[in-house]
Amino acid sequence: MLDWSEPAAHLPSARKLAPAVVPEDATGLGNIDRNGGRVRVDDKAMINARADVNQLLPLKYRWAWEKYLAGCNNHWMPTEVSMQADIALWKSKDGLTEEERRMIKRNLGFFAASESLVANNIVFAIYRNLTNPECRQYLLRQAFEEAVHTHTFQYIVESLGLDEGELFNMYREVPSITEKAAWALAYTKHLDDPSFKTGTKETDQAFLRDLVAFYVVFEGMWFYTGFAQILSLGRRNKMVDIAEQYQYILRDESIHLNFGIDVINQIKAENAHLWSKAFQDEVRGMLRDAAQLEAAYGRDTMPTGLLGLNPGLTEQYMEFIANRRCAQLGLTPVFKDRENPFPWMSEAMDLKKEKNFFETRVIEYQNGGALSWE
Amino acid sequence: MAVCNLGSINLVAHVTNDGVDFDKLERTVKTAMRMLDNVIDINFYTIPEARRSNLRHRPVGLGLMGFQDALQALRINYGSEEAVAFADASMEAISFHAISASVDLAAERGRYPSFDGSLWSQGILPIDSIELLKSARGTDLRLDTSSTLDWDGLRDRVRTTGMRNSNTMAIAPTATISNICGVAQSIEPAFRNLYVKSNMSGDFTVVNPFLVRDLKARGLWDEVMISDLKYFDGSLGAIDRIPEDLKALYATAFEIDAHWLVDAAARRQKWIDQGQSLNLYIAAPNGRKLDALYRLAWERGLKTTYYLRSQSATHVEKSTLKGTDGKLNAVSSSILHSAPESIEAMAGKACLIDDPTCEACQ
Repeated sequence: MLDWSEPAAHLPSARKLAPAVVPEDATGLGNIDRNGGRVRVDDKAMINARADVNQLLPLKYRWAWEKYLAGCNNHWMPTEVSMQADIALWKSKDGLTEEERRMIKRNLGFFAASESLVANNIVFAIYRNLTNPECRQYLLRQAFEEAVHTHTFQYIVESLGLDEGELFNMYREVPSITEKAAWALAYTKHLDDPSFKTGTKETDQAFLRDLVAFYVVFEGMWFYTGFAQILSLGRRNKMVDIAEQYQYILRDESIHLNFGIDVINQIKAENAHLWSKAFQDEVRGMLRDAAQLEAAYGRDTMPTGLLGLNPGLTEQYMEFIANRRCAQLGLTPVFKDRENPFPWMSEAMDLKKEKNFFETRVIEYQNGGALSWE
Repeated sequence: MAVCNLGSINLVAHVTNDGVDFDKLERTVKTAMRMLDNVIDINFYTIPEARRSNLRHRPVGLGLMGFQDALQALRINYGSEEAVAFADASMEAISFHAISASVDLAAERGRYPSFDGSLWSQGILPIDSIELLKSARGTDLRLDTSSTLDWDGLRDRVRTTGMRNSNTMAIAPTATISNICGVAQSIEPAFRNLYVKSNMSGDFTVVNPFLVRDLKARGLWDEVMISDLKYFDGSLGAIDRIPEDLKALYATAFEIDAHWLVDAAARRQKWIDQGQSLNLYIAAPNGRKLDALYRLAWERGLKTTYYLRSQSATHVEKSTLKGTDGKLNAVSSSILHSAPESIEAMAGKACLIDDPTCEACQ
């Protein structure tokens, strides 16, 4: 068991009081300070702290460690889900309408590229600037989960015999997907600049912007239209295997999103000056823009609408989700009061599912290694 | 080669205001046994081996469903000695009439061909097997083995007239038919009072109708209650408005200590010639709990258990409920001190030694 207690107080602290000065090495790549003091809990901070050699213990942010454990306990692999039913439906001549096929392909195309964009952002932009080791521990887990998700799309493409070139190039060939990818990519690019360094109000806010773009917008808003599209098909007994894969992805993404929310809120708490009124308005603007980009994507993926799903409803859904994200970040909502236009999501997502082991893979489990023997 | 030929009695359909209608139960069991026996002859067998073995031994498995509904109709909590005693009494009646029906069918249609030499032919009934188990183990099962019906008379009839079926009873999971009938599965407590049954045919929302009726009777069934049920995953424990007696009566599978399920199953087992599909539930399993539970099941003489269900590490946010985000969040979204616009404004901030809510030193 981990020892949660405070470390011995008499040890010299590595971080002097009032850490107004940004440490030389926030990445953990600096030379080892042979005479430096031991890292104490108080020395740790979300950003602009001495990362040292990434000392995990003593832990400061238990929530980050717990999310890391939860992620591990939720472990799954796409190949555990059989694709038989979907293969049969996809290959049948009249099992799906042309509109449904278009929506499915664009949906897969969007996710295939997006999971990689999110993974890149973790590695190139977030990891370097988030100076806390327990948060970095989660980032490493999350990066692997993004790989699992990308693997899922490879597995689906292979199973259904889809044109891989078409799907994996949609991020640049379908304008509404390109717009979203380009919008987010700009944030990664800014932080990946070798000269970029947090420690000033401007750069710290740039880092927050990147976190908002990826955790709140990409994983917390845009993915949700995608989930709604596929779960809506699944509820009509179409593409049920992909729908099952998406339920696993959704469970992972729920932690990604909420980790991001916790990170942003923790940075806010430690650096209240960053969260100025002007900056709050800027973040709200980002969420508003993102919802509009998503509305365009909705029109593009299902121009004529499908049973129970059309661009107008997905736009309303995105506004509903955007307002929820605002609430989680402590922001005033960006849209007028919205309801979820898809009440069936209650059945697809909200309620606990009882499944039979011989029929499908049960989602209510924890990884075997999680079993404690006291 | 064995063939599953199962049927389940809807127990709650035999409960009246005065308790279980045992006469009706007897009629249902007799009809069900005749139907199951008919199935053996008219079934379509895909391979000759299955047909041969089925006609030779004529095994069937009569079980029940809606056990928890019956308890709820009788206002008995699943986690109680009273429920354990009810499991015993209800199964004793089903067993007595099932075996008795098979004897009647033997008189009418003939014994099953491999009857000679069977335990039945030696007058060994399920209740007698318990004694065999006791003496084989040399230990007490710590199980109430009393009975209320005329088992000596039935034993004589079994031995002299014979049986139509080599096996008569089994508790099937009734995973889908119970949903179609609108009752709780098999002998199990409800998974949740509001949940989704997800199977090959799709997703189906299931709500406990007894609970809804009770809440309506007490004027508690409204939009807020539906939201609360969703928010708390169909369990009543955390909903303040629900009176304690209803919380106990409608405790879900994860809220009832699993030893009650084993105890009830053990009392049922003494009447059943085959096994029970007994699902067990532990919300947060660990080695010690698993060891204790499965050891208890073995000690009590259970022949079988079924799945062990637990819960996943995390769940997704509730998509149709507002103000429910944050179950996965640990950090508050509000900043305690108003946000100053410059770093200079921060400089004056120090440890608030006279403010007990200040967490600067935590």
